[in-house]
Amino acid sequence: MSSEQILALLPILVTSAASVVVMLLVALKRSHGLVFGVTVGSLLVALAAIGSSVSVMPQAVSSLLIMDRFALLYIGLILAATLAVALLSYAYLESRAERREEYYILLLLAAAGSEVLAAAGSYVSFFLGLEILSISLYGLVAYRRQTPLGIEAGVKYLILAGASSGFILFGMALIYAEQGSLQFAALAAAKGSSFDVVSLVGFALIVVGVGFKLAVVPFHLWTPDVYQGAPAPVTAFVATVSKGAMFALLLRYFIQLDLYQYGAVVLVFGIIAALSILAGNILGLLQNNVKRMLAYSSIAHVGYLLVALLASGPLAVSSVTFYLIAYFITNLGAFGVVGYLSSGEREAEEIDDYRGLAWRRPWVAGALTASLLSLAGIPLTAGFIGKFFIIAAGAGSRLWALLIILVVGSVVSFFYYFRLVLAIFREPDAGAQVPYPSASLAGGIALSVLTLLLVWLGVYPAPLVNLLGGMTSGLL
Amino acid sequence: MFPVFYVAGLVALVSTVMVVTRRNPIHALLYFILSLVAVAVIFLDAGAPFVAALEVIIYAGAIMVLFIFVVMLLNPGVALVIRAREWIGPAILSLLLTLGIVYSVVGSTIKTMGISATTPKDIAMALFGPYLLGVELASLLLLAGLVAAYHLGRRIEREAPARGASLQPGAPVGSGAPSSRKEGA
Repeated sequence: MSSEQILALLPILVTSAASVVVMLLVALKRSHGLVFGVTVGSLLVALAAIGSSVSVMPQAVSSLLIMDRFALLYIGLILAATLAVALLSYAYLESRAERREEYYILLLLAAAGSEVLAAAGSYVSFFLGLEILSISLYGLVAYRRQTPLGIEAGVKYLILAGASSGFILFGMALIYAEQGSLQFAALAAAKGSSFDVVSLVGFALIVVGVGFKLAVVPFHLWTPDVYQGAPAPVTAFVATVSKGAMFALLLRYFIQLDLYQYGAVVLVFGIIAALSILAGNILGLLQNNVKRMLAYSSIAHVGYLLVALLASGPLAVSSVTFYLIAYFITNLGAFGVVGYLSSGEREAEEIDDYRGLAWRRPWVAGALTASLLSLAGIPLTAGFIGKFFIIAAGAGSRLWALLIILVVGSVVSFFYYFRLVLAIFREPDAGAQVPYPSASLAGGIALSVLTLLLVWLGVYPAPLVNLLGGMTSGLL
Repeated sequence: MFPVFYVAGLVALVSTVMVVTRRNPIHALLYFILSLVAVAVIFLDAGAPFVAALEVIIYAGAIMVLFIFVVMLLNPGVALVIRAREWIGPAILSLLLTLGIVYSVVGSTIKTMGISATTPKDIAMALFGPYLLGVELASLLLLAGLVAAYHLGRRIEREAPARGASLQPGAPVGSGAPSSRKEGA
């Protein structure tokens, strides 16, 4: 490898090296604070390394990874989100009598796998990145291994993710057998105006696997249970980084192979998007558990993202990316508050746990309310601008049916978001008050930064929009 | 060429179905070994002798032996005696497989299916040439598996008394969350 290639890979290299360093550190001395500090520091270094990688863009590193501006943008997003998850995890883990250090090794490895996914230019790196991410997540999801729910979530995720990996692998094998190449670019050059049967089956199998990871509707059954059983910061990671990395890959795949020209592909993704929006929002109405409610809401939000993905044209990539950033900030904020309020051995996941939050913890209540308003898409929050871009992109491509479903779904979603907001502002019960843990510095910093970003993007999105225009135009 | 592929493919399918349907774990594992060997024969037939050897050494050899040891150590209650009635199935399937191999060796039709054979050298050149990064990524994959297995497999220590409080069965769940824990061999 040349020095330029190493420079281009620097963010991924730093993240991977950090996981090994943390592991060695744990072997020498178990100290939660030290491991936490090294993790946060290395994530910051990896973020800073993006600055030096920009100078050597675009760079194909062997045949596996394509480090272009698009990949770097998503790697930056993944690193920032992982940093937020790490900050939110500290107090959460500190209050639990479980070994804490392995968590950070797995978190860094999961981030490295996501980065590989965001930069994948071939099926080989696609699969390797996906598996690094999935296997780290098995450990993270089942991290509360002394609780039945945690183990159940881990087993469910293990079996279903394993099965979906099998689908993806078989699909790749079929496509390789037919096309003779694993590179996205070579596939794009070789493809004709229509798929042959074998490639079509292969592609369909890959869609199944990708759909599982994104938790879109026919493949969403694991989502509520895993979201509920996983520790709250891990749920935030699964909802944001894992989905975002997969979406980055899907976006690159769609654009590189120009899948827009195939009516069947667009139709399939359109149906998936419509089902996700409707089912996610309607099932969200039935939930009393905040984590399950947010799980269904995240299913619906991926549906919105697919609408933007299907809207081809210049606006599509930047509207998807903007919405994804807004979604990251919002969900990290919402799950961050759930983790922040979870004390000792139990999670603050029932709606009653939030009753009167505004009177007892006004700042945390403000952060959660802002996140919920952003999820609902109320003006002055990032979620509103994101939804605005999606509708603009969809209208530009005349996806009227999908847009109507999107609007209907959003209206339905108001009910359950505002149910929680209402609970927050209700008078607290005099008698049975759920004890909240004491405030933590790291979590508080993460929540305030997330909330500030959320409002800032909602009020003044122009700088980010311009940045995205420049970054995503460099795709390929 | 094709007879070997079809025979081995049939053996692989039948034995895999038997793996899933057997109630005795040791019987299931015997069929599983057979299934892996059949896949190795397919690899051999497709011109990949190195991968075939790896399949036998790593999967049928190391991993399955580990499985059998674990089952024997954990499940002393299961009847581990294998009577003739039970090994006749694997024996017939292995015989078919052997006939397939003998046929392909006698007919010297290894490396068929229209593909030239892949030698160990070709694989090494690919792994440490264009796919070097892939090998490194696979090492991260193993690290993740190792750390996760270490954390999940560690003995639960007797610690803070608050631990037992969260274990009550009435943990709040929504639609059909628990109940999938009862499965098991």
